Amino acid sequence: MISSLALSLLPLTVGLPLLAATVCAMTSARRWCVGTSVVFSLLQLITAIMLLLAIQDIDADEPLRYSLGGWGAPLGIDLVLNGLSTIMLLITAVLVVILSIYSIGYFADNAKAARFWPLWWLLVAGLNAAFVAGDAFNIYVALEMIGLGAVALIAIAGTRTALMSALRYALVGLLGSLCYLFGVALLYRVYGTLDLVQLAAATQAGPITWASLALVSVGLLLKTALLPLHFWLPPAHASAPPPVSAVLSALVVKASFYLLIRFWLEVLAPATTDFAMNLLGLLGAVAILWGCIAAFRTQRLKLLVAYSTVAQLGYLFLLFPLVAASDSSPNLSNMAVTAVVYFIIAHALAKAAMFLSAGDIQLFNGHDTIDKLQGVARAQPIAVLTFAIAGVSLIGLPPSGGFIAKWLLLNAAIDSGHWVWVIVMLAGGLLAAVYIGRVLNVAFSQTTAPTPTTTRPRTSMSCIGLSLALMAVLLGFNAEWILQLANGTGESSVPGMGALK
Amino acid sequence: MFTKLEFRKREANRRELPPFAVYALGFVVIVLSVALMFSVVVSGKAAPKLAGLAAEKLEASGVENPVTAVLLNFRSYDTLLEIAVLLIVAIAVLPARSSNAAGVAHFCSADKQDVLNPVLAALLRWLVPLAILVGGYLLWTGAYSPGGAFQAGAVIAGAGVALSLAGRHEFLWHTTAARIVINLGLFVFIAVALSNALLTGTTLQYPVDYAGMLILVVEIAATVSIAAILLLLFTELKAMVDAPREGRQ
Repeated sequence: MISSLALSLLPLTVGLPLLAATVCAMTSARRWCVGTSVVFSLLQLITAIMLLLAIQDIDADEPLRYSLGGWGAPLGIDLVLNGLSTIMLLITAVLVVILSIYSIGYFADNAKAARFWPLWWLLVAGLNAAFVAGDAFNIYVALEMIGLGAVALIAIAGTRTALMSALRYALVGLLGSLCYLFGVALLYRVYGTLDLVQLAAATQAGPITWASLALVSVGLLLKTALLPLHFWLPPAHASAPPPVSAVLSALVVKASFYLLIRFWLEVLAPATTDFAMNLLGLLGAVAILWGCIAAFRTQRLKLLVAYSTVAQLGYLFLLFPLVAASDSSPNLSNMAVTAVVYFIIAHALAKAAMFLSAGDIQLFNGHDTIDKLQGVARAQPIAVLTFAIAGVSLIGLPPSGGFIAKWLLLNAAIDSGHWVWVIVMLAGGLLAAVYIGRVLNVAFSQTTAPTPTTTRPRTSMSCIGLSLALMAVLLGFNAEWILQLANGTGESSVPGMGALK
Repeated sequence: MFTKLEFRKREANRRELPPFAVYALGFVVIVLSVALMFSVVVSGKAAPKLAGLAAEKLEASGVENPVTAVLLNFRSYDTLLEIAVLLIVAIAVLPARSSNAAGVAHFCSADKQDVLNPVLAALLRWLVPLAILVGGYLLWTGAYSPGGAFQAGAVIAGAGVALSLAGRHEFLWHTTAARIVINLGLFVFIAVALSNALLTGTTLQYPVDYAGMLILVVEIAATVSIAAILLLLFTELKAMVDAPREGRQ
């Protein structure tokens, strides 16, 4: 009963943000945009929670399907909801509520607000559309919405660096989308359907499936910024306005990673090889080490946070070799998927908090050159506290969400006997401690410089960042609850991942 | 927003790849292309496409043109999101509101004092209504033969471009009318999609008897928005080309 009711809510995950976007775009008054956004972000959260209750209620093996227009695949387009997509919808809804409240304070300027709010909601609509997509071409449209929305949101910052990096991001995103579309076209030629479930049933290993898997993967890897395709990410994420940086690092790159999981472990699983899986893991491992070193060497705080995203994304890619190594036991691969889902949530919260605090520090000081931030801990205790707490989660120290995530990943790696990944993960944690320690060291040092006189961010806004950081820590305390959520109640230990493997 | 960017070629910043790298890149591209072609050739005959299925269900779609049926009925969700993509682009290039703008302004105003060449004026008097008429025809004909909202929108936008190039008319994108026109397509589409959910129980499922009419409503709104957004792109690009000369001082 509850599941059929909630199922009819599935189109609202895309419909609500789109409606909010048109309302915001039609009115030019900031007041209206703010009111609409608060109402719709809460409605979206309620929808996500109801979907969560529904998916827990039913057997996790069978994903929920909704046939838009009543045609059904392959003629029409289906929306699909499984445990993983529910979790992505939920973390999106939570972050959108919090970041919307932050943005009310941040975009006090009418002209920027009139542009920000519609774009914000269109980006959210694109994210949700990608999470519930059940059709390969529909994913392409969702990727276009995400890519263009993110580019336009970065450009709101208006600085020359922001515009240049937004333009580069736009070109990279376009290349990625076209690669993806090329791959999908090949799939359609061979299998005659675009529906992901039907594709998964029909896929066979062969040259053309390998070619399309390669094209789809390159497209999505460009958007996920896996080393060596990460070059566009640091300037783009660092030059955007803080709430936009937060959503870019927390959700936008995760959306294309989510799609990679779906293609590699579900849709095109028969065409994947252990070698390719291990290659992805190897690139991830290099990304961890290189991202940490680049973060340590950079001069600017927001760039440091952005490079840290490159490193943290590397951990996600360790999923693939761990799944490849666990061919014999589905338990191990489920464990790896659960760990990565947990990692996505923990990183989303911590990184959003960190970008907000870095934004506060930049706003207050008028710059974010790390070496000149002496004594900032005294001037902005809340922002530095936020940075420190989020840093604890990123390093993976207990008690934090980051710790649990890393611990789960380590367990999966140890159980499958892959000590290389264990060493990389431990080294990544140590290196993260070094670059975060570098910032804190400067922040707490004695200052001789006069206090800057630029605008002081409102304390309430700093507290929003703090609340995100605290949530990242609370995630560590509530591991049981979230693990159960990620594990589902049924036989298959990963929600809706019953469809995988 | 992007009007602030200047594209100047600076000699110092220009880097050219060494010849070796160019050849290496060319080699890689050729190898990849050959591999791709090989994979397509060995895959054999293409699988049966969905065109047959679409033709089968055409009767229930409310239109007779299979392309329109796919765009506005079978896969209308994709079209809905594509109109949202257009809206993203529109908002990104929408000029910032000028603070000294009058409270009441018309979307298309002929306030500029430029005197039009009489021949040009006479031509426009014929061309603009004709373009709008052709747009309307393309929209209507989309139900049973090639045509539809995108084509109609492009033709109508052409009328706006002609007006804008002639120099007497100006389009004020900060007006409420402009904002409504730009958003109309997406708003009406969502409204129809969600009201369908109330009528038939499924989002985007048209009641069979009213399918043709509802599709036409959606297409009219989409045409208006597509025409406006294309025109917006033109006028803003024009402003971007004109701007540096004024702004450099």
